[in-house]
Amino acid sequence: MAQALNDLFAAWGLSGGFVNVIWALVKALLVLGFILLNALLLIWAERKVAGHIQQRPGPNRLGPFGLFQTFADALKLLFKEDVIPAAADRVLFVLAPIVTFASGVLVYVVIPWTPDIVVRDLNIGLIYVAAASSFMVISFLMAGWSSNNKWSLLGAMRSAAQLVSYEVPLALAVVSTAILAGSLSLYDIVQAQAEWGVWFIVLQPVGWLVFLIATLVELNRGPFDMPESESELVAGFNTEYSGMRWAIFFLTEYASLTAAGALNAILFWGGWLGPSFLPPAAWMLIKVYGFVFFAMWIRWTFPRIRVDHLMGMGWKVLIPAGVVQLLATSAIVLIWG
Amino acid sequence: MTVSDVLFLAICLITLVAAWRVVVSAKVMHAALWLGLTFFGVAAVFLMLSADFVAAAQVLVYVGAITVLLIFGIMLSEGTEGTPRGSERSSLGRKVAPVGAAAGFAALMVYLYHQAGLRQPPPAEVATDTPRAIGTLLFSDFVIPFEVASLVLLVGMVGAIVLAMREEG
Repeated sequence: MAQALNDLFAAWGLSGGFVNVIWALVKALLVLGFILLNALLLIWAERKVAGHIQQRPGPNRLGPFGLFQTFADALKLLFKEDVIPAAADRVLFVLAPIVTFASGVLVYVVIPWTPDIVVRDLNIGLIYVAAASSFMVISFLMAGWSSNNKWSLLGAMRSAAQLVSYEVPLALAVVSTAILAGSLSLYDIVQAQAEWGVWFIVLQPVGWLVFLIATLVELNRGPFDMPESESELVAGFNTEYSGMRWAIFFLTEYASLTAAGALNAILFWGGWLGPSFLPPAAWMLIKVYGFVFFAMWIRWTFPRIRVDHLMGMGWKVLIPAGVVQLLATSAIVLIWG
Repeated sequence: MTVSDVLFLAICLITLVAAWRVVVSAKVMHAALWLGLTFFGVAAVFLMLSADFVAAAQVLVYVGAITVLLIFGIMLSEGTEGTPRGSERSSLGRKVAPVGAAAGFAALMVYLYHQAGLRQPPPAEVATDTPRAIGTLLFSDFVIPFEVASLVLLVGMVGAIVLAMREEG
């Protein structure tokens, strides 16, 4: 299909640079479409999972199994009044959700869903993911500070503290897989698992545990959702947001959750690899949504942990574990690699 | 002018305007965010030089860590609103010092550009596997500066811990 489109562009007499721009736009639209649909379905799934865990049906009125509930909710949010608090810093208040969403979308550039379906495989893939997601913290700080509200500010500060703290163990765990694969490209990391004939989860169970916990913290999801803990901070950094701007924060949360599932699958669970009775894309999706379901399950079964406990766990348990993991991996690769 | 010339000029303009706003912003928070944009602009310049690894590291470290810690510090401290401290006084030194510093920096840049052999034609072939190339260089030719830099960071960290530590008893 890609070739047919290229031929079509050539027949229209379009030059190379222009075709590249069109391709970039097409890919961006595909990613955006995926993120929007995915979020609508995941919000429904989250409410269903929460319902089952809390022994209630969850949404069940609109459409089969209540499937259209989130579509109705999205419409409602679109038509809501656009409120900006009088005391807010207007420019930053408006910019914050945009930066959040951009940060969430940027990660999708390097994620290979199958060997062929990837926007652009970069040889600095892992560093790129870390750099793109680092805008998330800034956008939360912008949202919290510009709201001019103490709950928002407290939520923003908590999010900055926990995101910065947990970036370190996350990086340590992720770098170990790059050392095993000998490359930072996500595509190469999956290929390395194919060549070794073993998924990295088998070689690095400790690294995976560190990755899992740090990822859940980075996603701001329960039991680590201190930045918006509704029982003490109203809604944390997004307290003053409503309507579509608020929806964009949630859209990004589900986009990031799915991207984290994809990273988890690629780095530790062999990406699109699997027995050949299913196509590679199916294996990838099973692993991604398996992680998403797992994250929901964790969120609705564990109570929120205390801020200082969270910091203690990050600095005193996960970082030492990550450092030992990294040293051991490097030593083993140096000696036997 | 080619497309990349236009891109380069746009990036330079954004970076310079952002840097200027860092200095003149009345609110410290705004200054910190403009600083973040400045760092991002510099990363974009690295990217245009095909230094993709350096660009990503620049964003990761300067935007993702340093700007965030700066903003975190601003949020923890009081009196971030209103005019910056000292702006009400205007002595001669305050006017001369920034101009002098800027002129000195410009002179240094001009000297480096013309004299220190930095003005070379771009290499015909650009390395594609930049992480591997940088890693190899860091652990061979530049291993001593690399280790000294890590030592400086370690000393800084120990210093911060000593300053923040509560006295026992």
